[in-house]
Amino acid sequence: MPYSDTEVTVGEMLRRHGISRRGFIKFCTAAASAMALPPSMGVSMAEQLAHALRPSVLYLSFQECTGCLESLTRSFAPTIENLIFNIISLDYDDTLMAAAGEAAESARTKAMQDNFGKYVLIVDGSVPTGAGGAYCTAGGHSAVDTLREAAKGAAAIVCVGTCSAFGGIPLADPNPTQAWPVSAIVGDKPIINVSGCPPIPEVITGTLLQFVTTGKVPDLDEHRRPKVFFGNTIHDRCYRRPFYDEGKFAKSFDDEGARNGWCLYELGCKGPTTYNACATVKWNGGTSFPIESGHGCLGCSEPGFWDKGSFYAAQSTALWGKAGESSPREVLQLAAAAAAAGAVIGVASAGVSRLRQHRRAQDANEPESNGDN
Amino acid sequence: MSRLSEIAIRIEPPAAVGGLGGGVTAILSELITLLERLTDSQESGAIDLRSLPMSVDDLAELRRALGEGEVRATLDAEGVSAIRETKVPGVWWVEHRDRHGELMAELIEVTRMPQILMTASEEIATGARLLREQLALRSGPRAG
Repeated sequence: MPYSDTEVTVGEMLRRHGISRRGFIKFCTAAASAMALPPSMGVSMAEQLAHALRPSVLYLSFQECTGCLESLTRSFAPTIENLIFNIISLDYDDTLMAAAGEAAESARTKAMQDNFGKYVLIVDGSVPTGAGGAYCTAGGHSAVDTLREAAKGAAAIVCVGTCSAFGGIPLADPNPTQAWPVSAIVGDKPIINVSGCPPIPEVITGTLLQFVTTGKVPDLDEHRRPKVFFGNTIHDRCYRRPFYDEGKFAKSFDDEGARNGWCLYELGCKGPTTYNACATVKWNGGTSFPIESGHGCLGCSEPGFWDKGSFYAAQSTALWGKAGESSPREVLQLAAAAAAAGAVIGVASAGVSRLRQHRRAQDANEPESNGDN
Repeated sequence: MSRLSEIAIRIEPPAAVGGLGGGVTAILSELITLLERLTDSQESGAIDLRSLPMSVDDLAELRRALGEGEVRATLDAEGVSAIRETKVPGVWWVEHRDRHGELMAELIEVTRMPQILMTASEEIATGARLLREQLALRSGPRAG
């Protein structure tokens, strides 16, 4: 693994690896396509990157499952090999690097000293603060101390995954380790959140590529996510959207509606309130995304997704509180009020879903489910 | 069977609008605009086919509508790219594949010549230097 070879331009590094200018234009054209940028950006991106210096990148893993790194290393365009050896200088990643122990930690310290104020800090995982930070330590240092130290010299922090961006599953109730997102610990650095559980690999690499190309933090939404990838909801770009507009909904995972590919809203799809690029960039090299495989969106790129109730309850059901607290009449009144605001089909279907729950509970002559099972 | 493309899928033909699917009609209309811009202001343009919600059938329809032109080029750089002019002059169909043959990008470029085919100025200078070095080696003192 190259250490702090940051005085070399991307173009020079490409030449060293025998990658031609045209090969790099191809690579950038594919990257621009994955990032939903205009096709003409591929050539200009290649020209800008060829003259850019390779930034030092440190990848810190805290309270996480390594799913995000798994996702990154399965990126198709650009590939992790290209990223590591040509676009960035990955100076520390305790999972990928061959070095271990003191050698690994000294590599991190050296990269931080040599590139102070210029390096990109990638953080994967939430930061546990309970028990003095003892829930997550490496080399005798707690995650919270390591983060604070590494953040001091960072040009920007890229939070990869919902855990580092919003706390994720570790922060979910009852949050036994008192886990927090990076933004709750570091307040004086630009933070780019690339959320998702895991994030789409091309979104991770695309965000890094955009930062390296322009040297600037991209336009972000209110949750500090790059707008180019998180500007639309899954629902906005879903190929099943016409069925939602027509009021055609699957009622169970094996009914005629499901087989016809109708909208999965009533089966709990969180697409309407989830901002991500799954419906356009897709997964596994653009093969498909969860809804295309017949399963609703879980909303994993949104803050607090784990505590928002059942993955299989229609979205509006959870918003209206626990089942049993509102009668069918109240549900219809709510639906009527919402319909007046223009949300006719979705709310009506949610109302039907709630009525179905109510009816099932009556049939079973037992208390209704609260939607969390 | 090792590729998704090898799985046979029957796709219903799109609703015909004058013999063409709606998406194809929209792209052809956009190509007319891009060709007019190229003529008027020399400005090239491109359409990223992977960014459009097109079915396999739509793509086949678009290929048929644009047809095959006279020029075909193959670029062998980090995988093979096929660059060919359609029967509509100035409209090029570009397919970039990686080393494993997987499609990385698919574009329609409206231009006199796709930029990826043209040699860069700095490469021309490098070419001249390499030839000078070869000549120097030939004209230099020979051992023995």
